[in-house]
Amino acid sequence: MLKSVKEWILVFLIIGVIMLIGNWIGYDVLPWTALPGIAILIGISLAGLIIHRLLPFQLPSIAYIGIIGLILTIPGMPGSAQIAAYTAEVNLLAIATPILAYAGVSIGRSWFDFVQLGWKTIVIGMFVLLGTFLGSAVIAEIILRFQGII
Amino acid sequence: MGEQALKLWKDWRLHVIVLAIVAVTESIGIFSIPLGPGTILLLPMLYAVVIGLGLYFTPLINDKQSINAEPLVFLSVSVLIAKFGVQAGPALPQIIEAGPALLLQEFGNLGTIFLALPLAVFLGLKRESIGMTHSIGREANLALITDKYGLSSPEGRGVMAMYIFGTVFGSIFIGLISGFLATVTPLHPISFAMATGVGSGSMAAASLGPLVAAFPEMSETLTAFSGVSNLISSVTGLYMSIFVGLPLTVKMYEILSKNKEKKAAKGSVEYVKKR
Repeated sequence: MLKSVKEWILVFLIIGVIMLIGNWIGYDVLPWTALPGIAILIGISLAGLIIHRLLPFQLPSIAYIGIIGLILTIPGMPGSAQIAAYTAEVNLLAIATPILAYAGVSIGRSWFDFVQLGWKTIVIGMFVLLGTFLGSAVIAEIILRFQGII
Repeated sequence: MGEQALKLWKDWRLHVIVLAIVAVTESIGIFSIPLGPGTILLLPMLYAVVIGLGLYFTPLINDKQSINAEPLVFLSVSVLIAKFGVQAGPALPQIIEAGPALLLQEFGNLGTIFLALPLAVFLGLKRESIGMTHSIGREANLALITDKYGLSSPEGRGVMAMYIFGTVFGSIFIGLISGFLATVTPLHPISFAMATGVGSGSMAAASLGPLVAAFPEMSETLTAFSGVSNLISSVTGLYMSIFVGLPLTVKMYEILSKNKEKKAAKGSVEYVKKR
């Protein structure tokens, strides 16, 4: 456990630096302006990973991370406005780019399996993604309109 | 994750390459390509996944980096999820108001069964189509099908094919269509934000990115809804597959393939492709 925590912290430091630099280059936010925000996000991630290890429930660690972030920023929680303001300096797209860069490197290994899939699988795969995505959007749209929210 | 003594942080080659990819792609910036009435947005993250994939075939990256990159995707996704969380807190009143839509849109993830399964049967696939189309085919679904049918069964081969497809092509494909669909269909961006919780972290990032870029004035609301949708999917996704998705797929497959046989017997279909 302690070993994992140490590993996580070191990895998060590296990822944090990469995200700060991306946030600077792509979205013109100076690294020291975004530093408190990224530190908070990393702290929340770390807390979620640790709680996931400690608690016996069969919930994925990202559920804990999301819930911690949500609770900390509920209006009225002490410091919630500050946390929201700091983390707003970290652009969502600046977080997403390194994720997909790591993902790109990791999927290289699957490439040879991928090219062996037939054209049918590829066509069906696109419809699977399209159906999953569009299906949710259509249901959300119907209910939001029904409620008069949009 | 990270339990093995992988020493992920020590793989400097990998981190420097990712930093270089980020620096290059973020300097290139966003391009939008008008396509009919809609727009396809090309974002730095999309170049990043393509460059990362391309580098695998150069001496810069070898298998060690590629193996180490996988848990790093997970750890960097957790930062994204934290960002989802802190955006959701301030939007809590809105989220509660939109609660019914957020919960029920989970059933929309079954859309694949109605869209992709008939196509798979039409293309002549047999029980592979159950594994392929019952869900988006990520890790949890792979585990479910393997547990129920075994990995070497037709269902298992189907889910494995979809897993490989999604791994390589998922985030690229959904990143391209999400912005396009949001600009070309009459559906509201919030509905699409709710749809981004598909059960995969990198696909969520890839599908939310173009929405935020296309509708910057709504970026906080979109991120908040996407975050909650991802949260709900991460908790309910597997159970949805076990209790609804998979049984429904099996039932529909039986009906569809029976119809197909009937039609074939009547001669109303020219030929049935033999596999």
